[in-house]
Amino acid sequence: MRKRRNDFIQLSILVVLGTAVVLSLVLPQLPGRSREVQLLEVSVIFRETDAALWSNTRLGMEQAAGDLGAELRFLTLTRAGDGGEQAEILRREAAGGANALVVVPADPWELSSRLGETAGGCPVVSIESPMEGTGLTVAPDNEALGRKLAETVLEEWTGGMVLLLDTAGESTGVAARLDGAEAVLTAAGVPVLRQTAAPGRLAAGLRVLASVRAAAAIMAFEPYATEQAIRAVEDGGLHQLVYGVGAGTYVVGALERGSAAAVAAWSDYAAGYLAAEGAIRLARREEYTAEPLPFTIVRGEDIYDPDNQKLLFPVTS
Amino acid sequence: MGNFFHRFAGRLAGQYRKMSIQMVIALSFTTVAVVGVVFMGLSMVLRFSNAASALVEDNTQRVLHQVNLNLDSYLRRMMRISDTMYYRVIKSTDLAGGTLSDGMDLLYEENRDALVSIAVFDGGGALVSAAPLSALKRSALPQESGWFRSAMDKMENLHFSAPHVQRLFEDPDYRYRWVVSLSRYVQLTRGGATESGVLLVDMNFAGIEQVCRDVELSNGGYLYLIAGDGELIYHPRQQLIYAGLQQENNQAAASYRDGTRWETFEGGRRQVTVKTVGYTGWKLVGVVPADNLADSSQQPLLFGVFLLLFSAFLLAFLNFRISAYISDPIRRLEQSIKELEAGKENVEIEEAAGCYEVRRLSHSIRSMVSTMRHLMDDIIEQERQKRRSELEVLQAQINPHFLYNTLDSVIWMTEAGRYDEAIQMVTSLARFFRIALSRGKSVIPLKDELEHALHYMTIQEIRFKKKFSTRITAHPGTEGLYTLKLIVQPILENAVYHGMAAAEDDGRITVDARREGDDLIIDVEDNGMGMRPEVAASLLDEDRPEMRTTGSGIGVRNVHRRIRLAFGAGYGLTIFSEPDEGTRVRLRLPALDEEAAAERRREDGP
Repeated sequence: MRKRRNDFIQLSILVVLGTAVVLSLVLPQLPGRSREVQLLEVSVIFRETDAALWSNTRLGMEQAAGDLGAELRFLTLTRAGDGGEQAEILRREAAGGANALVVVPADPWELSSRLGETAGGCPVVSIESPMEGTGLTVAPDNEALGRKLAETVLEEWTGGMVLLLDTAGESTGVAARLDGAEAVLTAAGVPVLRQTAAPGRLAAGLRVLASVRAAAAIMAFEPYATEQAIRAVEDGGLHQLVYGVGAGTYVVGALERGSAAAVAAWSDYAAGYLAAEGAIRLARREEYTAEPLPFTIVRGEDIYDPDNQKLLFPVTS
Repeated sequence: MGNFFHRFAGRLAGQYRKMSIQMVIALSFTTVAVVGVVFMGLSMVLRFSNAASALVEDNTQRVLHQVNLNLDSYLRRMMRISDTMYYRVIKSTDLAGGTLSDGMDLLYEENRDALVSIAVFDGGGALVSAAPLSALKRSALPQESGWFRSAMDKMENLHFSAPHVQRLFEDPDYRYRWVVSLSRYVQLTRGGATESGVLLVDMNFAGIEQVCRDVELSNGGYLYLIAGDGELIYHPRQQLIYAGLQQENNQAAASYRDGTRWETFEGGRRQVTVKTVGYTGWKLVGVVPADNLADSSQQPLLFGVFLLLFSAFLLAFLNFRISAYISDPIRRLEQSIKELEAGKENVEIEEAAGCYEVRRLSHSIRSMVSTMRHLMDDIIEQERQKRRSELEVLQAQINPHFLYNTLDSVIWMTEAGRYDEAIQMVTSLARFFRIALSRGKSVIPLKDELEHALHYMTIQEIRFKKKFSTRITAHPGTEGLYTLKLIVQPILENAVYHGMAAAEDDGRITVDARREGDDLIIDVEDNGMGMRPEVAASLLDEDRPEMRTTGSGIGVRNVHRRIRLAFGAGYGLTIFSEPDEGTRVRLRLPALDEEAAAERRREDGP
C-alpha cells in the first residue's frame, strides 16, 4: 500500500516536471505566440480633388500605420465635395477588402444615411464632421472653435458687417463652427452675412467678395475655404481681414503678411495619427475613444512663438 | 517566528518518521536537486539579464558614439564654413569698397546641401550681406534674436541655437524652414576701420535630423537629441510629442550626466544612455525600454528554463530510480522478516540485489535467521531432553524400600515354605519391573499399564495378607489405547498405604479404564478412610511442600505433573474423597491410538 502511494507520488512529480519540460519546449513554438500582427488595410477618402492640404494629416496617419501595422490608401474625389462619389468610393473600398475607412465627409448627412450599405460593417472614422454610424470622430470641438474665432474677431471689430463663408454645407462640422461664430457675433450685435459658396469657386469668385466690399472681416471655417478666401483678398486687393481655419503654408504666410488676421489651428498631424489609430484599433475590435482635438487661435504676430512654431511648421524632412 | 520554525521542524520530523526510506531518499535528493537547479537558474537569469543589459548598454553607447561623431562632423563642417566666411571673406573685405556677396554666394553654393542661409549683420542688426536670399522680412528683428545677442555677449565663442523656424528673409515660395543657427561675433572692416558684426550660418535642420534619423538601437530602442535646457531638437516622434499625443522625459534627461542609468517614466523602466555633443551642450539620449529588453531575452530565457526543467526532471528520475534500487531489497527483506514474525515456516530470505551494504545486510539477516533456526532447534531439542530427563527422573523415583520389602517378604515366605506365594510374588515382581522398564518407552499400551498395576497389587496383597482385594477393569473401547507409563501404580500405592491402613480383610480397590470421547479416563477408587475434600484438593497443589511417603515413592502430584507436562493443562488428576467413605482418583488423558503413540514417542526421542 505504502509502496503504491510512494510510486504514485513519484510518478506525479515526474509527470508534472515532464509536462513543464514539454511546455517550455513547445511554448515558444506555439502559433499564437510567434504570429505576426496582421497587416490591416485602411482606406482614407478625402473630400477634395487634391490631398495636398492634408499633407500633415497624412504624415500623422502614416506614423500611426507604421506603429500599429497597417497599410494606408489615400483617395480623393474627381469633383470636390461630391458626396455621392465619396459614398461610392466608400462602398468600393469596403467591398474591396478594406479593414477600416477614414473619411473627411463631403456631405455627412448623405454619407451617414448610406453608411450601412456602403461600409458594410467596416469601421468608419470621420475627420472634422461628426457622422452617425461612425465609430469615431476626430475633430476639434467645432462649435467652440467657431465661437472662439468669433471672439477673436470681436476683439478687433470696430464696426461693419462680417461675412461668414458657408462652404461645406449645413450639416458638417464646418457648419457647426459657422453656427457657433454666428451666434457669438449676433449676440454681440455684429451684423453678419452668411454667404454660401462652393470652395472651389472662391478664388475666382471675386464678385462674391466684391459684393461685400463693405464687410469689415471675412470668416472662413475650413482650411481650403480659408486659403481661397485669402487668395481672393490678396489677389483682389481687398482690405478685409480674413479669419480662418487651418495652418497651411500659404495661410501662415498670409498671417505673417497680414492678409489673415488670425486662424484657428490644431495639429493636423495629431488628427491624422488619432484617426488612423482609431480606425486600426476599431478594425481589431478594440475599444477606442478620442477627446476633441485641442485648438489654438494664432494671430499673425504670434506665429514664431515656440509653441506656435511647432504647431504651424511641422518638423518634417 | 522561532515558535513557527519549531512547529515546522516538529511536523517535518513527524512526516520523516512516517515516510519510507525510498521516499526520504527520493524526496530529499529531489528537493536538494530542484533547489540547486532553481538556484543555478536564478543565477543564470541574473547573469544573463545583467549581460544582456550590459550588451545593450554597450551597443547604445557605441551607437551614440557614432552618432556623436557624425553630429560632430556636421557641426565641424558648419564651423569650418563659419571660419572660412570669417577669415577668408569677411576679414579680407573692406565693406567701404567691396562686398561680401561673391565669397558668400560661392560658399553657400558649395554647401547648399547643409545650409539654409549665410548672413552678416552689423552691430545694430542691419543686414550687411546674405545668401541666397538677401531681403529681410519687414517683421524681422535680428538684433532681438537670441543668436544675435549670444554672439554679441560672448564674442570669443561660436553659438549654436536650438532648432527654430527661420524668419529672417522674404521667400517668394513662402517656405518656412527649420534651422539651427550658428552665430559668432565678427569684426567688419569698413573704410579701414573695424566695427562689430555678427555672422550667422543657418544650418538646415534636416541635416541634423538625417544624422539622427534611421538610427536604431538594439531591442527597439530609440535616440533623441536635446538642447542643454532640455528642449527637444530631434525625436523620432517629435510631432506626436508636439501634438501632446506622447510624452518624453527630456527635461529630466537634460540633468543626466554622460553614461547609462535606469529611469522610470510613465510607469515603465528604461535604460537611458546620455552623451553630450561637443561645442553645443546638446545631449544625445538613447532609450531602451526594459520591456523590450525582456522581450528580446525571452527566447533564450525560455530555453534556459527548458534546460533547467529538463535537468530537474532527469535528476528526479535518477533519484527515484536510485532510491528504489536502494530501498526495494530492504523492503523485500522487511517483508520476509514480517513473515518470519508471523510464524510462517520455510520463509526464504533471498540474496538481495542492490548495493553492497544492502547485500551485506541481506547476507547477515540470512545468517542470523539460519543461526536462529538452529538455536530454536537446539532449544526444542534441549526442552525435549529436559522433559524426557524429568520424566525419567520421575519414573525413576521408585522407593528402594518397596523392592527391599518385597524381597524380604519373598525370603520370609520361602523360609516359611510358602513356595507358591513366593513364586507368585517373584513372578509379579519380575513382571512389574519388565513393564516399568518397557525398553525405555514413556508411552505404553493401556493393557500393559493395567497389567503393571495388577502385578503391583498382587505383590501388595501378599504382603498385606489379603487385607484388601483388587479389581482392575478395562471397559470396551479402550482396546488398543496407549497411556503414559507408571501413572496408575503411584495412585494404587497411595490407596494401599493411606486408604487400606485401617482395613481388616474388607479393603477393596478398583481400577476402571474407559473411553470418554477423545479422552481416556482411569478411575482408581478405594473404600478406605478417605479424607476431607480440602485435604484432597491440596494434594495436587504445586505449592504444597514435597512429602515423602511410604510405598513406591512416586507421589500423586508427580503423576499429575507428568500428565500435564505431556499433554497440557486440560489433562491430569482429579481427587474425590470423603472421610470414612473412601477416595476416587480420576486420571484424564488423551485417548492415544497406536499412531498417536508412535508420534508421541518420536517427539520424545529415542
